[in-house]
Amino acid sequence: MASSISLPRVESGKPLLNAIRIVPGILLLAGIGYAAKILEHSVNAYAKARHWTFPNIEYVLWAILIGLVISNTLSIPRIFQSGIATYEFWLKLGIVLLGARFVLRDVMKLGGISLGLVVIEITLSLALMTFLGRLFKLKPKLTSLLAIGSSVCGVSAIIAAKGAIDADDEDASFAMAAILALGALALFTFPVIAHGLHMNDVSYGLWAGLGVDNTAEATAAGALYSEAAGKVAVLAKTARNAMIGFVVLAYAIYWANQGKAEKVTNKAAFLWKKFPKFVLGFLLMSLLVGFHAFNKGQVASLGNLSKWAFLLTFAGVGLRTNFREMSKQGLRPFIVGAVGEVLIACLTLGLVLAANRIGGL
Amino acid sequence: MTREAHRTSAREYPSVSIDTWAVILAFALALAVKFDVFKNVPW
Repeated sequence: MASSISLPRVESGKPLLNAIRIVPGILLLAGIGYAAKILEHSVNAYAKARHWTFPNIEYVLWAILIGLVISNTLSIPRIFQSGIATYEFWLKLGIVLLGARFVLRDVMKLGGISLGLVVIEITLSLALMTFLGRLFKLKPKLTSLLAIGSSVCGVSAIIAAKGAIDADDEDASFAMAAILALGALALFTFPVIAHGLHMNDVSYGLWAGLGVDNTAEATAAGALYSEAAGKVAVLAKTARNAMIGFVVLAYAIYWANQGKAEKVTNKAAFLWKKFPKFVLGFLLMSLLVGFHAFNKGQVASLGNLSKWAFLLTFAGVGLRTNFREMSKQGLRPFIVGAVGEVLIACLTLGLVLAANRIGGL
Repeated sequence: MTREAHRTSAREYPSVSIDTWAVILAFALALAVKFDVFKNVPW
């Protein structure tokens, strides 16, 4: 199994050793992130001083690009691997802290719109990916994993579903490779298309949150457009993530009825186990700010802490995207994923543009 | 430690997911900001 898309493993019983093991990788993430910030500032200042017409390349893109170059040209030593894998942790930390930058009214309004669109998107994506999986004669459980990954939330959903439907490591690896490769492509295509269509920040943020599968890539794709779009993308993606338990439960029951997975005895416990807790943290943080638990300066500080956490995430997105490793995973799942993702991207774009026209986003 | 012992200790001390750790750290940071341990965090 490719190292760049392997399932996370945690060694129990050695907490101190595990903590020490992640330090080099975290330092690498921080170093790349900080270099990206310096590059953004210095390149823009250099171009401005010479009166050059140069696009404003933000730290988000620099961090991803540096990570991509390192992971695709050098062999990253093992000592860094555990720490690089923590980018998911920084992502979730950043999302909870970002809750401070949302007024509860906006969360209710945008979250409500997002949830409505999410339900439509999930239903259509599941149907589409299942159809494509059958058309291309993929293994049924691989089709299920691709459908779950592309409809809900990428790698996290695939990991959550893998155990629940008793799928092979190999199938999970294929599905993750397809989702990650297409997420990496979306990072560069979504902002270009949106600029071409002159989309506003809210519309684009909703599209990125609905159309890009993995949470890290959706966050980065949103932030690449603008800070405001990044916030909306996180909100839309969070609404999508909240559905993970329900979708995985439905698949677990389906495969248990087929006699190919364990029966779910306690559905409420299953839902709670699969529910992403950072969604609750995000809502609670927003609620606290709504009740004026923090003053204006403190809210700004929490927002900045969130940006620092995302900085490590964006560096990690680049570092774990290894195109060579992904290409080894096979062409058919990738084709199914690619066809499905393009159709889902068009579909979600249509949904967002329709919502904008009807409701005025 | 044997595999069985590992399993037993895992049952006795249920592991905390990274989601939960992220929420715990986020609110610890929020508390630190609230009580001015971290003031005017720069960007």
